[in-house]
Amino acid sequence: MPDTTRSFGARVARFRTVNAWWIQIACYGASMALLVAVWEALGNSFGVLFVPFSTTVVRLWELLHSGPLLPALLVSGKLYLVTLTINIVVGVGLGLALARVSLIAAAFERYIFILYATPTIALVPFISVLFGFEFGPRVLVAVLISIFPILLGTMEGARSIPRQHLDVAAIFGSTERQLWRDVIVPYVTPYAMSGIKQSIALSMAGTLVAEFFLNPDGVAAVLLQGTTIVDSGWVLAVTLFIAIIAVLLVGIGELIERYLVKWRKASVG
Amino acid sequence: MAAPPGAERAPRRWLTRERAAPVVAGIAILLIWEIAVRSLLPSFVATPTGIVRAIPSTMGTWAFWTDVAVTLSAIVQGVVIGSAAGILVGVAMGRVREIDWFLSTYIRALYALPLIALVPLVILWVGYQPEARLIIVIISVFLPVAVTTADGTRAISKDYLDVGQMFGARTHNVWFGIALPSALPFIIAGIELGFARGITNAIAVEVLASVPGMGMSVFTKSNELNENASLVYVVCLAIFAVSVRALMIRSRRWLAPWYSR
Repeated sequence: MPDTTRSFGARVARFRTVNAWWIQIACYGASMALLVAVWEALGNSFGVLFVPFSTTVVRLWELLHSGPLLPALLVSGKLYLVTLTINIVVGVGLGLALARVSLIAAAFERYIFILYATPTIALVPFISVLFGFEFGPRVLVAVLISIFPILLGTMEGARSIPRQHLDVAAIFGSTERQLWRDVIVPYVTPYAMSGIKQSIALSMAGTLVAEFFLNPDGVAAVLLQGTTIVDSGWVLAVTLFIAIIAVLLVGIGELIERYLVKWRKASVG
Repeated sequence: MAAPPGAERAPRRWLTRERAAPVVAGIAILLIWEIAVRSLLPSFVATPTGIVRAIPSTMGTWAFWTDVAVTLSAIVQGVVIGSAAGILVGVAMGRVREIDWFLSTYIRALYALPLIALVPLVILWVGYQPEARLIIVIISVFLPVAVTTADGTRAISKDYLDVGQMFGARTHNVWFGIALPSALPFIIAGIELGFARGITNAIAVEVLASVPGMGMSVFTKSNELNENASLVYVVCLAIFAVSVRALMIRSRRWLAPWYSR
């Protein structure tokens, strides 16, 4: 609608809708540029405790190229992958079992919630007294931190199956296999996947906690090493490195979710 | 496990199988723990009866209550500051697109980062001090609250805004009179998540930065092979964490009764 006496506010609003895409990119760019600029400026003024962005990047390159970071990444990566695999297998399996057998669920549900709410770090001394400091207890700590979204998500998914669907399947004499293929899997998958998406990011937190608190190892040990020798360039570089990996993992989770939404639309419509 | 013994024989109707099951399971867990540790492991390993016997000697000391006071007050302080800052930034992000675009890069990256990774950096900057714990708790709460508040205030129904405009609402009326109340369930969910993370991260900082408190004592008691006392602290932390969850669920029902989830 053309009107000649547009107010300033209306003109701003129009500018914002027409140029939304460019403003968005400009905002992202400006925020990144500002971060680098402020980091660079402050780094030069504070001295040893806060090195500039450029120094951090150089430091990261050194740590990756000839330092301890890549071997440590392999150690952490192994723990991460084992943790995530156990989370998916045990989380989905246990979640289905708990949801399908209501008495077991009634028996153990509140203890699972208590375990979920309890800060796992506080359990580390007890776990290490029972099982030691090796790979096994590390996996246990990491799993205790990151399995719950999958476990609880799967349970919720299995409970969301309408009673009628199960009855209809029973009336038409569907076999156990058909029941799973046609009713249970389609209902549970979205819930389990959203749990897995969260667990992809959370398993990394679990990995780091296990490495920090059970005899430092992997990337966490490299990070602590920097604190011990009071080398802020070292600590900033490793923190930046962990942040980049974290953002990538969250990105992978979001890609999986997007793919899943498409898949669901395709299978429903 | 089969049906709990005694459930069928129960004469009164309130004792259903579903109600008896958790009690039976709880007793079974404690029994297995007690018997397994006594028969297989050295005597210093914690057992349920050992923990109960350690309660008077642990909770009867000033040191215990000082630990409780410093840790819990740091967590509560951090939650208050972090929530207030998170709500302000979140409303701004939810209502002004450009602020959202500008800040979301940082907030998303920090939100993705396991905050335990920030602990060494914070220790390096503020030293092995209690302030490190407060800072980490504030960040732990700020991030989820900012994200959920932004999500909640962004998705306000158009009707509310139209009514607001009709009654001549100014920007601050829209922000704090319309957007904020309608985002309340989101905000409470954010605070709930942040509270849980704050408890965990407060303990992590205590251990990594040697700051006295409950988390630190869990580790030192264990190092002194006083496992039962260490577990008394863990039980108290668990009770605190579980009550916080219950309190948040209660307050969501109370403050936002229209939102049932």
